[in-house]
Amino acid sequence: MKTLLKKGFNQLDNLFSLAFTPQWNPMYQLGALSFFYFWVVAATGVYLFIFFETSISGAHTSLEQITHGQWYIGGVMRSFHRYASAAMGICMTLHMLREFALDRYSGVRWFSWVSGIPLLWLLFASAIGGYWLVWDIQAQYIAQLTAQWFDWLPIMVDPMAGNFLNESALSDRFFSLLVFLHIGIPLTLLLGMFIHIKRITGARNNPARGLAAGTLGAMLVVSLWQPALSQAPANLDVAVTEVGLDWIFLNPYTLIDSWGPGQTWALLVGLSTALTLLPWLPSRREKPTPVAVVDPDNCNGCGWCLADCPYDAVTMKEHDYKKGHQQSVVNPDLCISCGICAGACPSSSPFRHVDELTTGISIPGFHIKDLLTLTEKKLHALKGSNRIMVYGCDHGSVVDKLTSDSVATISMPCTALVPPAFIDYVLRKELAEGVMISGCCEGDCYYRLGNTWMDQRFSNERMPPLRTRVPREKIRVRWLGEQGTGQLVREVAEFQTELAAGAPLPIEEVS
Amino acid sequence: MPGVAQIFGQIVLYALFFVPLAYITHSPTHQYLPDDMAVLKIAIRHAGKIIGECTPLTGAEYDKLAANMKRPELCPRERSPLKLTLLLDGEALYRDTIPASGLHRDGVSSMYQRFVLPAGPHHLQLFMNDDASAEGNTWELDQNIELLPTQVMVAQFREGFVLQ
Repeated sequence: MKTLLKKGFNQLDNLFSLAFTPQWNPMYQLGALSFFYFWVVAATGVYLFIFFETSISGAHTSLEQITHGQWYIGGVMRSFHRYASAAMGICMTLHMLREFALDRYSGVRWFSWVSGIPLLWLLFASAIGGYWLVWDIQAQYIAQLTAQWFDWLPIMVDPMAGNFLNESALSDRFFSLLVFLHIGIPLTLLLGMFIHIKRITGARNNPARGLAAGTLGAMLVVSLWQPALSQAPANLDVAVTEVGLDWIFLNPYTLIDSWGPGQTWALLVGLSTALTLLPWLPSRREKPTPVAVVDPDNCNGCGWCLADCPYDAVTMKEHDYKKGHQQSVVNPDLCISCGICAGACPSSSPFRHVDELTTGISIPGFHIKDLLTLTEKKLHALKGSNRIMVYGCDHGSVVDKLTSDSVATISMPCTALVPPAFIDYVLRKELAEGVMISGCCEGDCYYRLGNTWMDQRFSNERMPPLRTRVPREKIRVRWLGEQGTGQLVREVAEFQTELAAGAPLPIEEVS
Repeated sequence: MPGVAQIFGQIVLYALFFVPLAYITHSPTHQYLPDDMAVLKIAIRHAGKIIGECTPLTGAEYDKLAANMKRPELCPRERSPLKLTLLLDGEALYRDTIPASGLHRDGVSSMYQRFVLPAGPHHLQLFMNDDASAEGNTWELDQNIELLPTQVMVAQFREGFVLQ
């Protein structure tokens, strides 16, 4: 199932990248879009609250006034409120499915995964509370089935359904409680969202501006074309027969209706528990490599690894024995073994005058010294002309398929493990005529920030930079992902042809 | 700047996302109940009679009590459960015993049930026993009712059964 999902998401990624470009690709920003929709819902909710009357008779009437009396602003606000919350529900669900399909939920990532599950409950509770406030026949349907659902729990002393027996049983205080819940639950959701991204360095909680503008524009068009409307006012003296439902948030109600409250609790709580336990269930994925190790002899306390770690696993402390210096410390509970820190370390330079290349920080499973040995060994074995060194990542394009007598390939956890000095070294020592860097799709690094950091190192925006003396025309950077393996094969062949022609080559765009 | 084809692609993808989204936030409609049915709700919230009698305290028992707890007799707290039966057209729709709430079973007994019934004339009978020491039913309702389509009828207990 996971493989199928992954293929599906890869197709969607490609489609959206074509239309939106990778920088605006909404599939890479589902979490950020969820944050964005939350703010839209919050802002429009404040406006609606100003005109909303919290009483049995006033709730429906005041919303009708907002919707029709001031359709040009109040009606649009209401539609934005509804459609943004629905869009948030879809984005959060897709975000969860995508992280599952791409295997980004276990190991160090367990915290984000587990903290995301209650967010779905809170989002549904917020949305259901909102529909309840409208007090139309859909709200009546919600009220009766929610009461039935909660009354099944043995903790309920007085049946909640007693509040909705008939019109005379309903009180205005109930609406005050609903408003309180409809503000309190979303605030709890917001708190949960911040906890959700707490362990992530530089978490993206704002989508690209162009994407945000586009989605607002699209919502405006839909709001004018299909404004959110109320149904007939609720009347507890008359049974609900046919009712229009929001199938995004209210689908559990059809389960309560057809299966009964007990089975619905069992399904939803069971599903949530299974999802929560998912990161610890046995799987076929490879065991994680040992976490990064700091070598105090070679750590000069520059803090570049701290700046680059995508999971906040690196901190600084007083150096073990060099007075007045600092050194890096790795938190093994947070380290994901990506090796980005090793690529950031200034000691990882093959130009250093040492007998054996050492570095300040590295992952034991893929030490910089091993990377250099492997690079030299593979390049020395090449026999053809227009030799190319391809560095790829285990989660992006499958670079092994490129290996030939003129192309050497090395795959590693993340390409950002390659220090820029290595590329300089390969070209300066004439071990190869060209270097190709490949990895996950642009903006969708398996380790979150690997390809972003690489791009910035190459464009001298980030330390350690690729020195300006390195001829950029001899470097290709291609973030094509696993689905772009075929394209990468073609591009390597083209690169070789261009190198053979020796013609002035266009400067490679690294972004 | 995105090209014309890209802008067109974006418009199509925005439409593919928001148009179905706008539709499924209110449609298709769901048939919750058939139009020719009515609903009967029974909601009882009533404290059963206390089980047992008060017994006078002996002098020694009285002396043992703390100053603020002294009282002439000891009264049990536990209340009788409610035994409730609903018959519709002679057939039992509901029959249950509702215990008193609370750790000491000294609170009210509460219940709620909802029945979807065909509209039309019916013979409704409600029986309740709220006193464990009494035989048979202590409260009764026997009434012919006419349920209209989609009507909601509520049976409650307020020192006697009440139909609304």
